[in-house]
Amino acid sequence: MTVSKKTLAGLSSAVVMASMTFGAGVAMAQDGPLRGNIRVVIGSTSTGGDTYQNSTIVVDKLAEQLDLNMKVDAVGASSAFRTLDRDSRGNTLMIFHDQSYLGYLYGVEGYDNIFEKYTVGPTVAINPGNAYLVPKNSPYETLNDIIEAVGNGEEVRVAIQPGGVSEIGFSALKNAISIEHPGQEDNLVAVNTGSQSDKNQQLFDGQADLINGTVQANEQYTRLPEDDQKAMRFVWLTARQDTIEQAPEEGLGQTTREQLLEYVEPNVHVTMGDDETFTFDKEFFFLYNKDMDPAIVDQIDEALTEIYAEGEIQEVQKNSFFIPNFKPSDEASEYLQEKMSRYEEIIENIQ
Amino acid sequence: MEFLSLLDITFFLLAGFGALVGIIFGAIPGMTATMAVAVCLPLTYALGLHHGLALLLGLYVGGISGGMVPAVLLNIPGTPSSITTTFDGYPMARKGEGEKALKVCVIASVVGGLVSAAVLFLFAPMLADFSIKFSYVEKFLIILLALSVIASLSSSMLIGIFSGVIGIWLSLIGDYSISDGGNGKTRLMFDFMEPYLFEGFSLLPVLIGIFGISTILLEAEKGVKSDTANERIKIGKGSHFSLSIFKGRMTNLMRSSFIGTFVGMLPGVGGSAASVLAYTQEKNLARDSSEMGKGAPQGLIASESANNALTGGALIPLLSLGIPGDSTTAVLIGAFTLQGIQVGPLFIPENPETWYVMMTALVFANIVMFFLMFYAIKHIAKVVMVPKHILYPIIVMMCVVGAYAINYGIMFDVWTLLIFGILGYLVQKVGLEVAPLIIGFILGSQAEIYFVKSLESFGTFSIFFTKSPIAVVLWLLILASVIFSIVMGFKSRAREKMELTQISGSTQTDSGKRHDTNSR
Repeated sequence: MTVSKKTLAGLSSAVVMASMTFGAGVAMAQDGPLRGNIRVVIGSTSTGGDTYQNSTIVVDKLAEQLDLNMKVDAVGASSAFRTLDRDSRGNTLMIFHDQSYLGYLYGVEGYDNIFEKYTVGPTVAINPGNAYLVPKNSPYETLNDIIEAVGNGEEVRVAIQPGGVSEIGFSALKNAISIEHPGQEDNLVAVNTGSQSDKNQQLFDGQADLINGTVQANEQYTRLPEDDQKAMRFVWLTARQDTIEQAPEEGLGQTTREQLLEYVEPNVHVTMGDDETFTFDKEFFFLYNKDMDPAIVDQIDEALTEIYAEGEIQEVQKNSFFIPNFKPSDEASEYLQEKMSRYEEIIENIQ
Repeated sequence: MEFLSLLDITFFLLAGFGALVGIIFGAIPGMTATMAVAVCLPLTYALGLHHGLALLLGLYVGGISGGMVPAVLLNIPGTPSSITTTFDGYPMARKGEGEKALKVCVIASVVGGLVSAAVLFLFAPMLADFSIKFSYVEKFLIILLALSVIASLSSSMLIGIFSGVIGIWLSLIGDYSISDGGNGKTRLMFDFMEPYLFEGFSLLPVLIGIFGISTILLEAEKGVKSDTANERIKIGKGSHFSLSIFKGRMTNLMRSSFIGTFVGMLPGVGGSAASVLAYTQEKNLARDSSEMGKGAPQGLIASESANNALTGGALIPLLSLGIPGDSTTAVLIGAFTLQGIQVGPLFIPENPETWYVMMTALVFANIVMFFLMFYAIKHIAKVVMVPKHILYPIIVMMCVVGAYAINYGIMFDVWTLLIFGILGYLVQKVGLEVAPLIIGFILGSQAEIYFVKSLESFGTFSIFFTKSPIAVVLWLLILASVIFSIVMGFKSRAREKMELTQISGSTQTDSGKRHDTNSR
């Protein structure tokens, strides 16, 4: 009997302690307009991808700074937009990348104009890894070889996932061919696939001559011996030269920054006309419900300004091969809108 | 052996704890191994890579195994890959052999898990090279082979195939997703349904609805009265478990384990295909498979060893290609990316310590899972002793919570649960068959994607026959599977006819005798 009394006493004190801890947590979190538990939905369903990785880094720091419970949920684009639509209190935020407006430009179902429908929040980082690869034993040594070959009437098949980041490089390439070799651009054929594994498989099967990939996912394949069916070679990174220059010197895996720089402009030139070279940096940014309290926008902007001023987050991002790129909401919105209009032109040109 | 220094007591505690939590997740309808891993993924940040992996692999093994409990006891597959476990598990539980069925499942699971871990350890890079020989065409044929089980599974082949086709049709509702290389346009629905059905019906609510809710509706029809007393008597009435059940079943056990490993190895071919395929092969190749579907341990052995063998199999492409083999490993890969570690073809040679640590965690989690479940089963099996009027409302509640949670809070998933619960009830009332329907539903959309992609890539129908020797072998297997079902169908019909004539013959002689007595 005494034992059960003891247990009872222990249990009740545990309950009291737990409720005190919770009480304290709630009290501390009530300083700013953001309150309670914050759910950050992302436009990707993958927890192995860059969106999740980058969002986790940022949200962890933000939760610490604001002293709030925040959690990243990989729910996927359409689901994330729908969830964000429903919550104007600020308890649901979204992090996504250029796909959010590229999907709209390509007319993908479920994508609206983010600049009209949502409030665009701050940018936080760039993933400089968007790449194009050929089999290691491919006759094409450089991207220029491919442009020339297509210009001479040769058919080149490119494995991409349609309707977004994976397609924009293909569109730019097609646009460049139409400028340099008018009428030949239809020889560049898109092979629509899904995941990265599907794109790789197309290359292994000989069903594609060029695939879209990433430095992160494909770097190890580029280090396989040439006689390996899986061996690949980078021919193009769409990032700006500036962006790659900010990457750590050791690069990623065994591929150094110096080696990566060989595959970006000006070494690789994809024309947009008028001496302009096409580049594409995949940027991550916040999206908010349009009716959310503007004070929350400011609160997050301020918190991130402080976080980036401390400088620690930059190290974490660089270690994971992200390039820190914080721009507060207003600046980010203007910058991204301009970015969208540039790509809109390319997409319109080739249609 | 430097990795030994990385294995401390926390490591083993985490792997064991992971297995326990995983079993609980797996056992609750609607909660899956994938969900368990996703929930705990952020913890790997704090735990570090090796400890984090111990926890996640424990969750993975536990989560896949836990699915057997509701499958056997309640006819609800806890995870999609335990659907074939319900075919024989639930009939056994109804006969009062729930404990025996679960013990068979646990042993099959641990064997499957360990066989696949051994295969992973010894042959991972080699098998990864083999797995990339499977293009869209071969993957389509694998799915087709799994679909061929519909023919042998149903009691009437025509009705079975019809039910399977309905299942496939239901799976095609929604869009052909852009992330699968489709056009993102919806089909088979009216415009007003688009907000709800854009991505089609979610698999898990459909599964729980059609099995769980419909079973409860059928039971509810019987009313409360006939319940308690006789059900309680049934417990433990059936024959007891002994290892001799596995006598003569070693081929099945090994074959199913290898099938599970193999299917796990193929990225994009879902986990449920593994147990379905193993079940088909046992049905086709066993000397006597007439009892399968009515409560035969051999069905449980095939299903459970295959679904646990998935774990090792799915890790093969993850660790030697950087490509997850199933939905759970797709989440698991996050543990590496969060720590900034690349997984790709050079992962194993470049990270030998992590590789050994993972193997240790995998094997240890399997062993913990075995002991936890084998000795807890006696108590778990008592779930069926809870009076149904108390048990069923609790199950309904858990199903609703699980359905709501599976896609992070979509209310339509709860409606899906209800819709398919009622559909499952009606389907059984009009005499259609649930098992082929659900297999059609699970495999239908994958079959579509690989079929369309094959045609898109190769541009001709003949490619399905001429792509590679692997394709030819798969066609032979499909053909054998179909022919076998037809022959078995004829045989069982002949047997039924014979039994009928015997019965009618004996009743005639009976009445004849009676007539004789009367005339005296």
